[in-house]
Amino acid sequence: MRKPFSLIFLFIFLTSCEKEKTSEDFLFENLPAETTGLNFSNDLTETNALNILDYLYFYNGGGVAVGDINNDSLPDIYLTGNQVKNILFLNKGNMQFEDISEKAGVSGSSDWNTGVVMADVNGDGFLDIYVCAVSGINGLNGKNELFINNGDGTFTEKAEEFGLDFQNYSSTAAFFDFDNDGDLDMYLLNHAVHTVNTYGPAGIRNKRIAESGDKLLRNDDGKFVDVSEEAGIYGGANGYGLGLATADFNNDGFTDIYVSNDFHEDDFYYLNNGDGTFTETLKSKFGHVSRFSMGNDAADVNNDGFIDILTLDMLPQDEKVLKASVSDDPRDLDKLKTEELGYHYQYARNMLQINQRGEYFQETGLLNGVAATDWSWAPLFADFDQDGFQDLFIATGIPKRPNDLDYIKYVSSNQIQKKINNTRLVDNEALDMMPSGKVHNYVFKGSANLDFKDQSGKWMARDSVISTGIAYADLDNDGDLDVVSNNINSNANIYENQSDSLSAYLKLSFKLDSQNTFGIGTKAIAWQDEKMQTRQLYNSRGFQSSSEPIIHFGFPKKEKLDSLLIIWPDNTYQKQENLDLDQHLVIRPDQSRDSINYKKLYSSPKPWFEKIDSLPGITFNHKENRYTDFDRQKLIPYQISDRGPAVAVGDLNGNGLDDIYFGNSKFEPAEIYFQRENTFEKQDFELLKNDEKTENTSAVIADLNRDNKNGLFVTSGGGEFYGEADALLDKLFKFENGELKAKDLPQYFENTSVAKLGDLDGDGDLDIFVGGAAVSNDFGKIPSSYLLINENGKFRLQKNSGLEKVGMTTDAIWTDFDEDGQEDLIVVGEWMSPQFFRNNKGDLENVSEEILEEKLNGLWQSIIPFDINNDGKMDYLLGNWGLNTKFPASAEFPLKMYYSDFDQNGNTETIIAYAKNQKYYPSNGLDELVSQLSYLRKKFPQYKDFAGKTIEEVFDKEALEKAKLLKVHTMASGYLLNQDGKFIFKHFENALQKAPILTFLKADFNKDKKEEVLVGGNYFGVTPYHGRFDALAGNMITQNGKILEGFELGLNFTKKSVRSLDLINFKGVVYLMVSLNNSKPKFYKLKN
Amino acid sequence: MKKYLYFVIATLVLTSCSKEEKPIVVTAENYHQTVDKITDIMVHDIFSPPVASRIYAYSNLAAYQIMRQENKDLIDFTSKFEELKPIPEADTTANINFKLAALVAKMEIGKKLIFSENVLTTYRDSLYTKWKKTNEVEFNSSKDYGLAVARHLSAWIDKDNYKETRTMPKYSVYSDDPARWQPTPPSYMDGIEPHWPKIRPFTLDSASQFKPAPHPEFSLKKGTAFYDELIEVYEIKNEMERKGDESEEMKIAQFWDCNPYVSTQRGHLMFATKKITPGGHWMGICKIASKKAGLDFAQSSYAYTTTAIALADGFISCWDEKYRSNLVRPETLINKLIDDNWKPVLQTPPFPEYSSGHSVVSGAASIVLTRIFGDDFHFEDDTEVKYGLPVRTFTSFSHAANEAAISRLYGGIHYRSAVENGIIQGRNLGNHVVENLNIKPLTY
Repeated sequence: MRKPFSLIFLFIFLTSCEKEKTSEDFLFENLPAETTGLNFSNDLTETNALNILDYLYFYNGGGVAVGDINNDSLPDIYLTGNQVKNILFLNKGNMQFEDISEKAGVSGSSDWNTGVVMADVNGDGFLDIYVCAVSGINGLNGKNELFINNGDGTFTEKAEEFGLDFQNYSSTAAFFDFDNDGDLDMYLLNHAVHTVNTYGPAGIRNKRIAESGDKLLRNDDGKFVDVSEEAGIYGGANGYGLGLATADFNNDGFTDIYVSNDFHEDDFYYLNNGDGTFTETLKSKFGHVSRFSMGNDAADVNNDGFIDILTLDMLPQDEKVLKASVSDDPRDLDKLKTEELGYHYQYARNMLQINQRGEYFQETGLLNGVAATDWSWAPLFADFDQDGFQDLFIATGIPKRPNDLDYIKYVSSNQIQKKINNTRLVDNEALDMMPSGKVHNYVFKGSANLDFKDQSGKWMARDSVISTGIAYADLDNDGDLDVVSNNINSNANIYENQSDSLSAYLKLSFKLDSQNTFGIGTKAIAWQDEKMQTRQLYNSRGFQSSSEPIIHFGFPKKEKLDSLLIIWPDNTYQKQENLDLDQHLVIRPDQSRDSINYKKLYSSPKPWFEKIDSLPGITFNHKENRYTDFDRQKLIPYQISDRGPAVAVGDLNGNGLDDIYFGNSKFEPAEIYFQRENTFEKQDFELLKNDEKTENTSAVIADLNRDNKNGLFVTSGGGEFYGEADALLDKLFKFENGELKAKDLPQYFENTSVAKLGDLDGDGDLDIFVGGAAVSNDFGKIPSSYLLINENGKFRLQKNSGLEKVGMTTDAIWTDFDEDGQEDLIVVGEWMSPQFFRNNKGDLENVSEEILEEKLNGLWQSIIPFDINNDGKMDYLLGNWGLNTKFPASAEFPLKMYYSDFDQNGNTETIIAYAKNQKYYPSNGLDELVSQLSYLRKKFPQYKDFAGKTIEEVFDKEALEKAKLLKVHTMASGYLLNQDGKFIFKHFENALQKAPILTFLKADFNKDKKEEVLVGGNYFGVTPYHGRFDALAGNMITQNGKILEGFELGLNFTKKSVRSLDLINFKGVVYLMVSLNNSKPKFYKLKN
Repeated sequence: MKKYLYFVIATLVLTSCSKEEKPIVVTAENYHQTVDKITDIMVHDIFSPPVASRIYAYSNLAAYQIMRQENKDLIDFTSKFEELKPIPEADTTANINFKLAALVAKMEIGKKLIFSENVLTTYRDSLYTKWKKTNEVEFNSSKDYGLAVARHLSAWIDKDNYKETRTMPKYSVYSDDPARWQPTPPSYMDGIEPHWPKIRPFTLDSASQFKPAPHPEFSLKKGTAFYDELIEVYEIKNEMERKGDESEEMKIAQFWDCNPYVSTQRGHLMFATKKITPGGHWMGICKIASKKAGLDFAQSSYAYTTTAIALADGFISCWDEKYRSNLVRPETLINKLIDDNWKPVLQTPPFPEYSSGHSVVSGAASIVLTRIFGDDFHFEDDTEVKYGLPVRTFTSFSHAANEAAISRLYGGIHYRSAVENGIIQGRNLGNHVVENLNIKPLTY
């Protein structure tokens, strides 16, 4: 008996090292209600009249408002109950709370309460309480109530007097001064309860519906007047408003509004025009947004002075939940909603929208690690650990998951439908069959490069409560921020922050003489060590809740603050320097103050490019043909049919001016524009018209037979044609005697991607490398690539076994990487590593293993030589898929793709598997897999049988072993750094990881005698599971490795897929032409 | 421990000595139950109407081919079907219960074709236990024979192109052609089974053998036949709304809905209302008729099998037309042209409009049933009582088929031509099946 005992002992000892931190080490200590007196539980009781079937937001829970209602410097807590009474807790100090609702008269009289806000609505220096209600459905009575603080510990309900006694379906409200007249106005966020079966066009939002439509209320001397209509606020039947953020997003001195809407309705981004009206500009400023948008928060998380936005959704991390829950729309339905019904692109995951100077938002939730926190209600940004970077707390969970696939397809039908149809009553048994959605609350640590690190289990215990509304406050006046959560069916929590004393804080509150006594909307900008932090005071945040109306900063060092700039809501400012930290400052406006000049404060650098409409005569508009690769090969990871347009710039007609070739998509003829003296002129060549079937993928213009006249070589692909289809033949053209002529080429039928010219055999003329792309209808098969040897202007195919099956290529360069005076070849592509071919006097030898030792398979898209560290040795920049993706990949745990005929029906399939916690799972859900491999439906009759299964459990090990395995070791774009002829791979920084990089252009753009590289990308040929890779705005990489963002350059390519960047000389001026897939090209003038 | 072992052995010895070798009794009622069981699983697993018809046809055929060895009046179908070799002969020296073997084969084929095997396995095992207890020798030899026949058929079934069609391209929705079918509300599901015409038919020489007359030429101009039919769909619903829920048209529409998956969304909650398919409904009618006529086990298997084959070929023929004409549903056009909130009485099923599936297969099935049971066969149709629908009375199979067909117009999911031409298509096909399989009236 002794041995096992000691073994157990050892085991405990060993495992304890791995275990989550014990409670003493937690940043947040959970204070039990028994010691604090905060006795409140939002208990829900399902009844026949009221349950998740009859009221879709039955599980949305209650809210929290925190603020000092008796001005004793201790923040008090108000918690709303849906069915239970609301309670106001007085903070008596030392984390002791007393229920004073009865005495204060603030319990409320509505049947169902939701959000709550504390604000000094009447401007008397005391916080009032506004409580939202759902009234008018399912027998719920009541109204929104405004409890005016009498200043003596009692309140009087005066909603009617103020014009705020709405009887509708409210989620929450925010008080702020939208017209900068010194008093607080209000935005009321309502939600639809509409349960029709289908979507309806987006235009529904234009028709105002009183019960569910949002409202903007202007405060006219204490009377709130509904100005929604004239202010341009939507109030339609589709508005499932669950999240509300107010902030000056574009730093123009007026408060803007972001509204999160659930389901198919878009979120709304209202920019304040400063004249009492707003303009909703979501579609132009955001590439895509959360789909089932819930709570949101607005805060400057990257410390650039512009306020960013996080919206929550319900994407689970746990494979067992993920694969058993309703997932993204199929692609056709996504297209229907966006293209036919008029909605914006929406995908079901948390979205972190980084604000780039108010010009555009870049969504980086996946890149920054905050995309998936399951069923999530409330986010709060705050610097909980006081290191100078805002952290993130997320409240999550739902009592029952109504989006469980087994429930929807199998369980519900018998149980629910009869009940509803026959008796209109709901069977509790039917409800009980829904799986529980308890998820632990999340906390993330923020950092300089915006990587949010999940600290759940490290900063606090992984709880099992269902938290809805949360608010932060410094409850114990120790300077750091505590969190209060309102929980469904369990007691409210206080998360007491136990930040150590090494860090420092600065707490600000404001006292104004205007009606806006707490200074809602005040901005504070703190500088320490040349590091800037920006806050703006809005207390209605997260979900149905309002936090303490203070501004809190954290600092890693205790040294003095260099400066603190306060910008008041009237856009005047004052500045304090050499400020001590670790204090709570109450700041009043100085007597004399100047107005802030935002243009100066956020001075924009001089842009490098100036957008122009077009160059005269150019009418090309690339129209991608409507073909969906996923209709045929349902499991491939991305499309291969949308790689155009092919673009080449050069003199084709011998007049010495730049002409343009645009290769087009299937069914659209290619276009050639000749440059004349003052214009470009589209040419009418029969040859091109007769060849409209061909889809071009790349083109080059060069003198191929040394007659000082250029030819045009064009590769053909398109991912649709296969076998010996004529449309797959590459073409060589030459302009002779006023006509475009086709020249002889060896015949090869291949879906090709790229042609690059170099002198392989050293005979002084240009030979051609032609890269093969993924094989049409047989994705995963390795295509053939080709070498065309130039012999006095005639080409012959040259065999090279090492090169022929190099992989699914996308780009290549001829470059003398071994510096022996002969042009070598580097080829990049998808599911392969960059391949180095050394030119040994006309023979290409693959030397990749010699000079590139890492495992470096990627989804490489582009390559360009560039000396990025300016050491005189050539490095190579590589465009990859980027890190803002659901596909994880590493050398240790590569992304895998199995290629085989799994169901033995004569057609191959590819199965993508990704690693999660060291195990591999299929990336597709069961329905998708079954659409290609029907036998799996039989193997997994229920979703729960499939959910959480590893790839080896889903497919037999034997089948996987028989399959060909392709891998990706990194998704990161970066560069190959030349170290004595060998290369090591370095990641680009996050700014270049936001989307696939598809093309580079090297030139001296700013005339500093050094070359820079311009970067273009974005890609949309993926399923809604991935969403859209739309965040790259265009970046410049300089020779000292600096990366400039689009707004600094005067570029904005977000939401467009850039396929080619070219410079064109026209009338002595250099222009940048940006060729886009499925769109017109953009033109810019170089400013230097 | 030892004591217990002795006890077991003793019991075994005792029971085996006292066991009486009774013949196993299998009745027509067992046959009906097995059909119902497979139907229930199909409803649970959500099989689309064409796929369901395939399951009915093969599972019944397996039983029938065994039973025709017991009832020599029944002819061998194997020679009628492409590539099907005669089933293995039963070992005449063994004690084989054909009915039992037939059920074994039927359940085995059913198990192969449905998804939720465990439900059918549980059902099967309860029968096995009972039979084994009654007569283990007879059970074993019969079961083995049933399984052998199932294996034989299974190899043939695998070659009907079903597997291959699973992975063929999806129906492409992208087109600017206003006549082309588009996914419909509420869930905008993909067009189902666009490659069903490529499935091997039973009696047809090709999927297009019973191509219906063309539908009126698509036109959105007033006064054209097509436009008039579109307006008729819209007007019929208006008229039904005036009359209220108790109108005969409403009752007919709902009775014949036969949509295996009606998706419903209530706020956050989605769920499916599931029912049997049109094929499932006609299997139900076949059961009612067989019981009313007092058919025995073998005769019942004949009635089911021939009806199921008519249904299966009916779906192939109908789907051939559907994905040839790719005609847009009335709901799409009415939403676009007349009222963007208009909803049909029934949920529009996810495939092209022309011709009406229910009309075609009801036409085909009714011809076969009429041939077997006679023209004036009165029956009370209580097939879908368990799905909350009432009983309706019919004076003949043809009466029922006519009503099933017109229900699609009342339901707002088909134009008149799809119904009228569809039932002709189905009846022509039904007559062909009767002739091809040489179906004869049963004497009972």
